[in-house]
Formats: sequence, structure tokens, C-alpha cells
Amino acid sequence: MAEVRLADIRKSFGRTEILHGLTLTVASGEFVSLLGASGCGKTTLLRIVAGLETVTTGRVEIAGADVTALPPERRDIAMMFQSYALLPHLSVAENVRFPLRMRGLGSRDEQAARVAEALETVQLAPFAGRRPRQLSGGQQQRVALARAIVSRPKVLLLDEPLSNLDARLRQDMHVELIELHRRLGLTTIFVTHDQEEALSLSDRIVLINAGQIEQEGAPAAIYDRPATAFASAFLGAANLVPVRIERRAGEAVAVFADGQALALGPGAWPEGAATVALRQEEIALHAVGDLAAAGGPRARVRTRVFLGARCRYVVALGDVTLRALTGNEPAFAAGAEVSLRIPEGRIRVLPG
Amino acid sequence: MTDRQESALLLLPGLLLLAGAFLVPILQMLALSVAGPDGGWTLDHFRRFLGDGFYLAVLARTVRLSLVITAICLAVGFPMAYIMARARPRPRVWLIVLVILPLMTSVVVRTFGWMVLLSRSGLVSGLLRDFGLAPRNFALMYTETAIVIGMVQVLLPFMALSILGVILRIDPRIEEAARTMGCSFLRALAAVVLPLSLPGIVAGSLLVFTLSASSFVTPNLLGGPRVQVLAASVWRAVTQTLDWPFAAAQAVILFAGVLAILVPYIRIAGRGHG
Repeated sequence: MAEVRLADIRKSFGRTEILHGLTLTVASGEFVSLLGASGCGKTTLLRIVAGLETVTTGRVEIAGADVTALPPERRDIAMMFQSYALLPHLSVAENVRFPLRMRGLGSRDEQAARVAEALETVQLAPFAGRRPRQLSGGQQQRVALARAIVSRPKVLLLDEPLSNLDARLRQDMHVELIELHRRLGLTTIFVTHDQEEALSLSDRIVLINAGQIEQEGAPAAIYDRPATAFASAFLGAANLVPVRIERRAGEAVAVFADGQALALGPGAWPEGAATVALRQEEIALHAVGDLAAAGGPRARVRTRVFLGARCRYVVALGDVTLRALTGNEPAFAAGAEVSLRIPEGRIRVLPG
Repeated sequence: MTDRQESALLLLPGLLLLAGAFLVPILQMLALSVAGPDGGWTLDHFRRFLGDGFYLAVLARTVRLSLVITAICLAVGFPMAYIMARARPRPRVWLIVLVILPLMTSVVVRTFGWMVLLSRSGLVSGLLRDFGLAPRNFALMYTETAIVIGMVQVLLPFMALSILGVILRIDPRIEEAARTMGCSFLRALAAVVLPLSLPGIVAGSLLVFTLSASSFVTPNLLGGPRVQVLAASVWRAVTQTLDWPFAAAQAVILFAGVLAILVPYIRIAGRGHG
């Protein structure tokens, strides 16, 4: 089957090294997301798998064969680009037939049947005769998807293919991609900077930071247990707050710079300076004196941003600014004093 | 004053210039080509041209050479334009300067350069003889080959730059996509870049074809009196035999001949990507 193995991949452009010895195996049929900020090297890594970039050192294997030195046309892959890269001089059907024609797959009739089937899959059969520029962005994106799956490649490479779509269409495409992947079982590598996309689509997330793998794991695992400050900040946009961990009356507490303390609950907490990662959605705001937040640190509301279903607060805890994502009720105005409740066990302590 | 009137006003100087410097002389030329000796009008000049094998051969040579020059410019200019388009910005500027450089010297000087190189004792003919690739009395001067060589050098920039402009606007990702869909580098060029650069190829071919059909300095100097092209023949009629009506008739035939080839070409090319 079509396993992808990347062994100690290094890539330099001129004197700048972009990838610092990355090793990654994508199992056959697995959906792996490469997640990271722009410029972290995730797209370069994808292009190396595609053969559009050469490696400086390292080895690329697809389905057990060393393809490091092979040009893209001799690797059995399909790639979907952020800009879709449709051929503007060809009709939708001709675009989808293009990989079959270039690879010489099947007779003319077989090709036509496969094109029709692929267009049916993405619900674009009525548009077969149109030119790409006569389609909307979402439709163009589906043409690109049909073109990528029509040749039944060993590996499907997706380079931020959804980032040019509006939020609604993107959610529809998430569902379609998941269903398509389940049905075809293609080994898929998906590059994105959108953590929600990575969390909802992947079997496994590979978090990349500055040309190295920061952390990898199943979406739930990587979300619940980020290993580093970068992972916490990137996944779930957690608040990272410097604290001192002390024992007060036999219980571990995190002490903020202004002296207020937050109970950490049972656990083997290392004492001394540390950083706590507090998820935005796990900070609840309560009126001062509310029993539910008894003993929680106090903060002052700086800004309230209404988001429709939810509400984002920016609160000041001494000199520390925290972001909290809460329900709409109760509403606190800017300047209001509030008590924060952060459930024990939801607080992650990172060294340093 | 409305916007429309304002734009009309802005257009006026250009229209006047075109009318004064282009339309009036053309109309005059048309009138002159049918002017009889006694002030009446006559088709004698055209009859004389079309009835004379020498002039028909000149016309055929002009069209043939223009086609050959256009084809060679395209064959050389397309890869050149592609390399320029895909180069990084700094090397691209240097390549463009290199391509334009020949245009910065006078046609006459450049043609004299070719005369020196192509003459019987010149470098090119000498080398070909030394390697045994040509007979002993071989010379390139005063042949159609000499005209083609000289004209291709002059006209190549027009072709290369016309195509460059179009290729620069083709998203390189489209080519990469073609590579991931099973095209080798050359296949991607043929299946993707070539059809998408058709507008530039059409524009460049039109420029090169019309310029080579109407040029006379280079063909005149490199072809000599025995290998004449139509523009040179017009010039001879004007300056040597002083037969202006016959010169005008030849010019009209040249004009009509160019149109007869260009109009169908534009039609076909326009249908290709319209």
C-alpha cells in the first residue's frame, strides 16, 4: 500500500535552512495534517513529497520505493493547490481528464467514464462544459478536487485547498473531504495553518514549528495534552501566564505576579517558576461573591467582544492580560470586577 | 462636459496625428498608384507588375522570407521568453537588456557587421569552408540566407518580448500542477504554457511578419541587387527610376499581400482562445 516515509529531511534555500532534519511516516490510508504558522516549512515539506522541491539531504519513500530523485510526474501522487491551478484554456471536463490523458490511463471511453464519475462525486456534472473562470470559487475548488482524485493516486497532497473559501463553504468541504477520504482510503497529507481544520479532518496532526516537528498525535490527544508552550499557544490559543508554584496549606497553587493564587489540585507539581497554559474556553467569569467562583482570582474586564453564539472577554489580572471565551450570560461590562473560575485539572503547567 | 466628451477630447490629438501622418499618405499613395500619364486614371502599373515574372518572384520571395523569419523568431524567441519569465527578477533584467541591446545600435551599422561576417572572406563563410562544410567559392553574402540571418537578429526582440509579457502572467503553479498530473517538463510546456501564451505568440508573429515584409535596409544590403525584396524594389523605383506611380502600385500590392495573410491568421488565432 501507499505509505509515505520521510527520513531526516533537510532543505536549504541559499544559506537559510528551512527544514532541520524532519522524519515522518504517514501510514497507508492515513489522513495527516501538517499544521503550523506561515513560514514554518510545512508547504516546503509537502512540495518535497510532490517532487516540486528537491531535498538538500534526506530520503523520500512512497509505497516502499525511494523516489527522492524522481521528478513529480514519475511519482504516483496528486496535488491540490491553494490557488486551485486549473487550466484556464480547458473546460471543466477536460481539466479533470488532463491527468488521465497525460498519464495515458485507459481508453478514451474509460477516461470519459472516470471523468463523469469524478464530477458526479463532487456534484459538478452539470458544469462539465464550462470554463473554470465561469465557476465560483467553491465550484473551482471542487473541480480541483475531482482532478486530484480522478487518477486514483497513491498519495493525495492538499496545500491549504480550503483557505480561499468563505466559512460556510469551508465547513461543507470539511464534511465532503472526510467522507471522500473514508470512501477512497487515500493516503492524504493536508497542509493548513487553521487548527480547527486540522482538528476536524485528521487522523493525526503533525505540528511544525520553525522547520521541526513540535509535536504529533491524534487530534484529541494533541489538543488535550500540548507538550510545549508553542503547542499550547497554537492549539486552542491558550493564555500563557508566568507564575510561581508554591505549596500553601499542603495544596499546590500557582501564584500570579500580583500575588493572587490559583488552586492547581492534586498532582506532582514542581515548585518554583513555571508557565501555566489556560485555555480561553475554560476560563469562566462570575460576579464577585458568586459561590461558584469562590476563592478564584479576581480580574477586571477590559473589553467584551460579542461573537454571536459566544462572547470573548479580555480581562486584566494584575498586569497579566487573559482572554476568555464564554457564553453570553451573564454579561459583564468593561470595567466590571469579576471572579475567575478555572477548573482544576484543566490547568496545564509547562516548565520555565 | 460629460465624461464621454472629455475622453473624446483626450483622444483627439492621437486621432489627428494618425489621420495626418498615416491616413492621408496612404490615400495619396492609393491615388498615385492608379494615376495615368495624362492626369486620368489607369491600372497599367498593376498590370505591369503582375505581368512581369521578375516582380512576381520578388513578391513571392518577400512573403516566403517573411514567413521563414517569423517561424525562426518564434522557434528561438519562445524558449528565450520562457527562460526570461521563469528567471529571478535580477537575472531577468539582464536577459532583457541583452535581448534589447541589438535594437540600440543603428540598423545600418549592424547590417555592415553582418556583411563583414558573411562575406566570402568573412568569419562565418571561412569557418564553414575550413570545416569542409561548404565548397571553396562559398559565400553567404547576397543570398536569401544572409537576409534571414540579419533579419532574425533584428526582429527577435519583438517576438521574445511579446511572448515574455504573456508568460509572466501565467501562474507558475499551473505548470507545477501539470507536473504533478504526469507531464514531463517539456510536455507541460507544450500542453500548458504554449496554449496559454498564444496571445503573445500571435502579437509577436504579427509584429515580426509585418516588420520583415516592409523592411528594406537589411535585405537590400545583405541580399544585394539580385536578391530583391518588395520594399527594396519600391525604394529603387522611388530613388533610381523615379517612377513614383509604379512605386505606389508596388506599395499597394505589398500592403494588400500583408493583409491577405494577416487577416485569416488573426481570425484563426482569435478563434483558438476566444
